[in-house]
Amino acid sequence: MPECVNPLTPCAMTGAAAALAGFDGITVVIHGSSGCYYYPATLLHAPLLGTFIVGQDVIMGSEARLLEVVAEAAESGGLTAVVTSCVPAILGEDIRSLLSPYDVVLVESPGFAGSFATGYRNALAALAPRVDTGAAGINIDGICLLDPFSAGNIRELTRLLAIARVPVATVLCSDELSRLHACSPFTITADGDLSSGIGTNLGGTLGPDAVRETFRRIGDALEGSDPGPVFSEIDAEEERLIRACDKYLRRFDPPVTAIFSGGSYSAFAAGVLKKYLDAEIACIGTRTFEEIPRGFSSVPAPGLNDVTALIQKYAPDLVIGASFEKSVKGDAAFVGLTPPLRDRVRLVSRPVAGIAGTLSFMEEVLNACMDRMARR
Amino acid sequence: MPSKPSPLNSCRSGGCTLTGALSVTTSVVDSATIIHGPAGCAHHNFSLLHATGLDNDRITSLNLFSSGMLEPEVIFGGEDALERAIRRAVRGDYSVVYVLSACIADTIGDDVPAVCRKDWGVPVIPVPTAGFLGGSFQDGVNNALVSIAGTLTGTAERKNGICANIIGEKNLEFEVEENFNEVSRLLSLLGITINVRFIHCAGTGELASLGGATLNVLRDEGMGSLGDLLNRKYGTRAVPAFPAGLSGTLRFLQSAGEIAGTDAVESIAGETGAQASLLEDFSDIAGSSIRFDPVFPGLTDDCSVSEVIERLGLEISLEGVRVPAPLSPPVGTAGVRRLLHRWRRALHA
Repeated sequence: MPECVNPLTPCAMTGAAAALAGFDGITVVIHGSSGCYYYPATLLHAPLLGTFIVGQDVIMGSEARLLEVVAEAAESGGLTAVVTSCVPAILGEDIRSLLSPYDVVLVESPGFAGSFATGYRNALAALAPRVDTGAAGINIDGICLLDPFSAGNIRELTRLLAIARVPVATVLCSDELSRLHACSPFTITADGDLSSGIGTNLGGTLGPDAVRETFRRIGDALEGSDPGPVFSEIDAEEERLIRACDKYLRRFDPPVTAIFSGGSYSAFAAGVLKKYLDAEIACIGTRTFEEIPRGFSSVPAPGLNDVTALIQKYAPDLVIGASFEKSVKGDAAFVGLTPPLRDRVRLVSRPVAGIAGTLSFMEEVLNACMDRMARR
Repeated sequence: MPSKPSPLNSCRSGGCTLTGALSVTTSVVDSATIIHGPAGCAHHNFSLLHATGLDNDRITSLNLFSSGMLEPEVIFGGEDALERAIRRAVRGDYSVVYVLSACIADTIGDDVPAVCRKDWGVPVIPVPTAGFLGGSFQDGVNNALVSIAGTLTGTAERKNGICANIIGEKNLEFEVEENFNEVSRLLSLLGITINVRFIHCAGTGELASLGGATLNVLRDEGMGSLGDLLNRKYGTRAVPAFPAGLSGTLRFLQSAGEIAGTDAVESIAGETGAQASLLEDFSDIAGSSIRFDPVFPGLTDDCSVSEVIERLGLEISLEGVRVPAPLSPPVGTAGVRRLLHRWRRALHA
């Protein structure tokens, strides 16, 4: 990422930690200073270890300190994953050889290596997931501890698969480590930005159209599955959604909307807002520099100043994003879709994926827009 | 999976100088700060500062630039990237630009002060940080305050009336405003007004009047060297720390009164009465058996906390009701009152 102002994306080290910490059976060690450790530790709400190196370790060598912490991690009996931060990555120490006596995976993912997604994929690649052609069910992919909707997405997709009589195989990345080496040949995805590439991807699950198409493919691919009840539920819930949106449109104009998220969630939000509320998608500012699928145009908005400029330019009625966007939204309505969502109490695991995910998102949109109109 | 963050050595858990220095420089409202390092370092700190602002109902306008170091800069040097970031920052309408370096910039040997010394049209001030290589979070705070104080050219002329500077507030502290309000209240009992909050949401214009105060009030005793620097520069003596607990509050009044040349006897008598009323308000929990919550460890052996326990006749016991320990000593009588409300809630839960 070139120089920018108030950057909104965590570093590659945090991405690696997010992928690894999702698996039970891995002890994650951040090989870096306490300052580097605290951010992923507070953001991911996962137990992490840190080497907490200090200046003396850089001068005298950090091997002894790393071994000390890895030895403690090994006491837990599982796999230890060591993630290197910036300075240890360039010290020239042969960490791989040093750790060879231990059951350790080394993930070289310093902050300067790139974005959160880069680190996430580095870590997943280092864990070397394997497909077991005999494994039953379907993998759920694109689940990340950073995503405030991850627990809700797992719950919703597990529910939908269950009513389609399909067991869940491996959840990437939120599962027992052992299941990473026995993945199903088939996968469905929650957040496509973090797709692992494991198994044949039968499709995404963001929005009713995607859910319908993906479950049609599941019906074709998996013997014994029955997507019929899922289709029935989509039809019934979509009818409720259409009625609620139509009622809104009897009183109000569709919201001019600005969306700030990753590519996958942005495309979802734009798609359902356009389809059900005839919303005008004024702009999509993406955290990354990737193109948005499904025909919506987007611009990179890697820093808060980019976001502010877009909001000032388009003066939207509705802003979709993270706490960052909420702080600069002006008098627009706001719905949180993007991490971090920090200034609201969140006790229920709400999804974005699946049928309930769309209902939940649109419910928030309608209520936020109506509240805004009432305020005026 | 182990639940503790790191084994052994707690001296390693002092945090990063960047975060400490940023908690100061981003509080200068007409300034920009550049972090010379990977964008992730800037994001981590921006996100933390933003979250803290939300927690305190204070959405501040952060102007945090990153030089966006990537692998090529790590290999070939990052001074060009820093120059690009400074060039971009000085185009903004800022009175001053602070430059902080991350650990990786220091490790590869970028000469940050030399880049800052060029003629940029506005002051570009390097603050010694170097990420974790420069020390701890608190070192970052102190270095930033010392750097900024060192660049001030303001007058040392005293203002009319007795006024105080508040020095080194913990800007990331959840109760930062409440603590400031309590110190202001106590100073007002002595007829002392506030001059400058050095540095909490202050502009460079306000900072220039730092030398005009009668006394300084330091946030805590770890800032003694900064207090000495300000005394040498402006001849302003300092109260060494915010008031901690009940008797600490009375000592604070005594000390501030002595430096300001004000008789504190009446103020101390009034505050002593207020503290007696406070303890009376919590007489319903007197004699209760408590223990400190081990899940969220805090300050359990501080004398200000021990005094509250003793004055209310509370008993520490393994079988006691779990109550939260404060993260830092309760500031003033109001801080003790908030602490006791939390304990009473726990006791009545």
